[in-house]
Parts: sequence; C-alpha cells; structure tokens
Amino acid sequence: MRKGTIPVILFLLPAALVFAVFFYWPLLQNFYLSFFQWNMISPNMKLVGLDNYIEILTSPELVKILVNTVLFIVILLIFNFFLPYIYSYILGHLVQRCNFIYRAILFMPSIISLAVASIIFLWIYNPLAGPLSIVLNSIGLESPRWFKDSFLVIVALSTIIGWKVFGYNLIVMLAAMVAVPKEMIEAAKLENASNWLIFKKIILPMTSPTAVYVFTITVVFGLQYVLVPVNMLTQGGPDQASSNLVYIVYQYGFVFFQTGKAAAFAILTMLCYGVFLWAKTKFLDKKVHYEN
Amino acid sequence: MSFMKKSLTLLCVGAMSLALVGCGGAKEQKSADGGKVKIEYWHVASESFGGATVKELVEEFNKTHPNIEVTEKYNPDMYKGLTQNLQAAIASGKNPDVVQMGWSYLNYAADNLKYTDIPKMVEEKIPEDKNFLKDNYLPNVLALARTDDGRQVGVPYSISVPVLFYNPEIFKAAGLDPANPPKTWKEVQAAAKQIKEKTGNMGFFMQEFADNWAQQALLESNGGTILKKENGKTKAGFSSPESAEAYQLIADMVKDGSGLHATNEEGFQAYLSGKLGMVCTTIGKRANFEKTAKFEVMASAFPSFEGKQLKVPAGGNFLMVFSTDDAKQKAAWEFIKFIESPGALAKWSTGTGYLPPRKDVEQDPNGFKKMIEENKNIQAALSTMPYLVQWASFPGANGLQAEQLLIDVRDVILSGKQTAADALKETEDKINKLL
Repeated sequence: MRKGTIPVILFLLPAALVFAVFFYWPLLQNFYLSFFQWNMISPNMKLVGLDNYIEILTSPELVKILVNTVLFIVILLIFNFFLPYIYSYILGHLVQRCNFIYRAILFMPSIISLAVASIIFLWIYNPLAGPLSIVLNSIGLESPRWFKDSFLVIVALSTIIGWKVFGYNLIVMLAAMVAVPKEMIEAAKLENASNWLIFKKIILPMTSPTAVYVFTITVVFGLQYVLVPVNMLTQGGPDQASSNLVYIVYQYGFVFFQTGKAAAFAILTMLCYGVFLWAKTKFLDKKVHYEN
Repeated sequence: MSFMKKSLTLLCVGAMSLALVGCGGAKEQKSADGGKVKIEYWHVASESFGGATVKELVEEFNKTHPNIEVTEKYNPDMYKGLTQNLQAAIASGKNPDVVQMGWSYLNYAADNLKYTDIPKMVEEKIPEDKNFLKDNYLPNVLALARTDDGRQVGVPYSISVPVLFYNPEIFKAAGLDPANPPKTWKEVQAAAKQIKEKTGNMGFFMQEFADNWAQQALLESNGGTILKKENGKTKAGFSSPESAEAYQLIADMVKDGSGLHATNEEGFQAYLSGKLGMVCTTIGKRANFEKTAKFEVMASAFPSFEGKQLKVPAGGNFLMVFSTDDAKQKAAWEFIKFIESPGALAKWSTGTGYLPPRKDVEQDPNGFKKMIEENKNIQAALSTMPYLVQWASFPGANGLQAEQLLIDVRDVILSGKQTAADALKETEDKINKLL
C-alpha cells in the first residue's frame, strides 16, 4: 500500500460512513421494502415479490402522474431557470444604477417558508374573494377556479415554488454573470457588437457551468418543493391532477400507509432522476465551458 | 507511533461525529420522581382550535391528581398526522397513553393498532367503574365508537354535525327571510339561485375537506348509503339512484353558477368576506366563524330531503388508550373520566365548538346550559343529535386509499366532467376491487 493511503482513508471515513448510513442504507432499505405489503407497524410483513411494481406500472394513475410531473418540471424551468437567467443578465450587465435594491427585493421571497407562501397564494388565488379575482372582475373576466382545474392547478402551484425559489436562483446566476470579465465585454463593445451578440458569444458560454447547476437544482429540488403546497392546498387533487412522482410516494406511504407501494414508487422516482442526471451529463456537460 | 496516534484521534473524531448525528436522543422512560405515574395525551387541538383548553384541562388534572402527571402533545395535520405519529411511536415501543382518534379512522385503528380494550380493562382492574360507559352515554352515541363486530374501541369524546351556515345580510339583499332558512335541499337550491340572481354573489358551498363527511350526510339523508353489506362483507355501496340524485343536486348548482366548487379554505374565505350566501360545514367551525365574520353568522340544521329521514354522521373524535402496564392504564382511565366530566366537557365545547357526547351535560349547571340557551347556532346543531350515524370508513388495509378515490370522484362530479350516476358507479367498482 502506498504511503499516505491510510490517512486518506481515515480522513474520508467519517463523511463516507455518514453518507452510507444516511443515504445508501435507507436506499437499500427502501428497495427491500418495495417487495412487501406492510403498513409500518404490523408485525407480519407480507412478501409479495414484484406485485407492487406490477401494480403501479399497470395502474392508470401512472400516466397521469408522469405527465403531471413533466408539466411541473417544464413550468418550473420557466420560472426558476429561464427567468432568473434573463433577469441576472439584465441586472448584471444592462442595469447600471440601484442594482442592490433590485437584488434585495427579488431575493426577499426566498426567505419566506413555503408553507407561509402557500397560504398567501391560497388567498391571492381565491376565486371569489382574492385580489386576483378582483382584478380579473374589474376587466370583466371571471376568475377561474385555480385549484380545481386540472391544468391550472399545476400552473398555480408552480407559481408558489417560482415565487419562492426565483430569488435564490437569481443570486446564484448573478454571481456568474458579474464574474464574466468586463474587459472582454468592453472589447466586444469597441468592435460594435450588439447586446445580443455579446450575450450569445460571451455571456452564454462563460456562465454555462452555473447555468447547468441552476438547471439541475431546478429540476431536482423543484419537484421536492412541490410537495409542500400540494400537501397543504390540494392533496393531489382535483382528481389527482396535481399529484406527481414525489407526492405519490408521500401519499402511499403516509396517507394510505401502504409502505410497499410507496417504496416501489420511490424506486421509480429514483430511476427517473437517474435517467435525468445521465442525460444531463451526457448531453449538457459536454457543451459547458469550464475555465480550468 | 505518532502516526498511530494520529489515526486513533481521527477514528475517535469520526466515531464521535457519527454518534452526534446518529442518535436523536434517547428518551428516559418510567417515573423517576416519587412513584408518579407519567402518561402522555395526544391530541389534534391546534392553538386556534381548542389547544388552550387542552392545556388548561391537563394543568387542572395534574393539580388535582398529585400521583399522576399528564403531558399533552399536539399532533399537526389532524388525525392523519396523529395516526402517522402513532404508527411510528407504537413501532418503536414508545406509545402514548390516551389518544384522540378521528371517527373515520375507527376501522383502520381497530384493525391495525394495538389498542387497550377499555371496557375489558375497566371491568378487570377498576370494577367500581364498570357501568360508567353504560350509565353516562346515549346508546347511539356509544355505538359510534364500536366496530361492526361489536368491539368498543374507545370512548366518544367530541361530536360535531354538519349544519348550514348562512349570511343573513345576503339573505335580506336577495329577498330571503333570515329567520326562515331553507329546510330542504330543494329550498337550498332555490335560495342559492335567488342569491345569485338578485345579488350576484355565489349562493352555496359544501365543504371539500380531504374527507367525504358532509357528502355522506347528503347521500344518506336521501336514502343512499356509503357502505353496504354483502355476504357478511362490507363493500362500497354509494352508486344507488338516491345517492346519485343527491350528489347531482350539488353538481347542478355548481353548473348553473349558484354553487361554488373550490378548495375548502377558499370557500370559507369567500363566506367570511361576505361573497357567499350559504356554507354547509361542521358546527365545529362555529366559534371560528362567529369570531372572524363581520356579519352575524347564523346556522340552521342540516337540510333534509322531503319526506325522508335525516342522517348526519358524527364528526370529531373518540379517545383510545394504548398503555400496556397496569399503573398507566389506571391513570389513563382516571384522566379520561376527568376530561369527560361535565365541567371539563363544557370547557372543551366552548373552546372548540364540539358538542358533548354525554347525556347529562346539556342540563349541567356548569356553564354549557347557559351557552346553549344563548346561542341559537348550537341549538340548531343539537337538534340533529338524534339522527347521528356512524361516519363511514372503508375496511381493510386499502381503506384509506378507497376514501381518497371517493374524494377524487367529488372533483369529477362537481366539475361536471361526468354525471354523478356514472362517476359514482365507476368509483364504486374501483373501490370494491380494492377492498
């Protein structure tokens, strides 16, 4: 063994152990649970083999849930990736004065808890008494039933997440934007490059590592955030229209107390995330410009 | 040598950090101070819904019972949250002693939780109290906490019934008489329409909590049923024409614009801000409504269908015991007797709006009597007590999922995607396959 290997292992050991115990062990446990029918307390766990998987894969709700999940992701990408990207460019390079005020204002919602945000939006979206309905009424429109319409419910819930996460993602993106060397941009300006050209040829490649990071956390964390407003406001309704891969795991596990099916759904969710991360590494990371 | 030392230190640090993260804190059990029996009381009363009353009652009990110490623990997210915590607690052997359990969880709790058989326990260990339940509770109320096969799972504690709240100002503006609220569903429908036409406000909203409690009252009052027995097995049976007709009545109101289909909180907000004429929901909301609304909140009894027997499911909770050792069981019983005493029940009722389960409390001079006489809304609720039925809960390990399917179909019916008859039939088949 090479000199120094043992200290390296020992240095890594605490973190590796914690990681194994709190991440990989539960994952294995979950995998094990997915072959049983069990309600978390009954002393007899019934081994059912692949039944849980077969049931969830053949159930009509699966398609609905996958479609909802994709819809959530698409809308969240608009609110939490695309918009922060544009805003950070504007704030970092186009707005010259009072920058810090905008930053503070836009970041503010991030410090409010999702539960509170959910309650605020529940009131805003109230179809009869909410401020949004009053605005709509004044221009002669009737407010839709936001949380009872099968598509609008996803939009409405996503705006809650968007409102909360936008500010944080903006700050992260902004850090990357201002790190782009000013000389480079000035040089480009001397060459009479338009803002669009500067954006495309300089900003886009120089900020791509951060953009990929924000893109990834938008997808991975976004869905987990969705759990809070879904659980508080709709419980997956109306008729499962706001249910998704993350909420369904919670619902089977802790509402229906069907641990086995919940575990099977969790494995399925895990696989979906796995595919996403694989695709991200394969297709996106190649295009990223890393400085070193 | 120094290398060994370093590695050892590292190991120790590693182990310590693990220990720190690993254990959340082992709780000390058993009585340490002078043989005091310590028991835990789990409830769902949040600060705005009786939480202060629970604390007050527990404090009073601890003061008057020096040999017992009760600690109360609030469980968020109502009975669902409580059941989750309870499952986990029982699995780890740290079960609470007295627990509030929702009526709709009766079958689930009876089949899946290891509870203490209260009547048997009382008869064996506290023989002087063996007639306590029989003497103090109406038979139909006691039966609420009994499973089909006759097991008395717990002691009835809080009772709520659905009532019709209305806004007298909107009634007047629409040309309706607030002193003469709708008594049948046909009248509700007509009143809702009149409110919509005359005032532009929404007419009617039936609660859309994550349960089917109010909807059960509607269906069963029209002669339908949620459950039916077939060859000794309990099955879903809500697709009868009577059930469909009753459900369709609400859907029609939503369709013609006089009824509201929204989340529960949205409906209540709309009512409290004076944009909605009538709300059908639990009497448990009374105290909160009366305090929050800017108008005088009025309630009338749950409407009936013409010529048909009214049936209202009991909401609220009953008390279960999970103690395993003798001393704790006796202490738990002592505590139950205390919080079910007329004085304590009157306080509980004031703090929450629940109706008391015992038969003598309404006449008891300890406060509740006066309150009933002064508050017409409570009288309206009490008038439906003779028509109490059990809150239907689906049996078996998939029972809770079945309940969710019935919640889902509510959205299908009220949004007009399918007629009540079709949607109910489809869901009934789905549920029966599940059970």
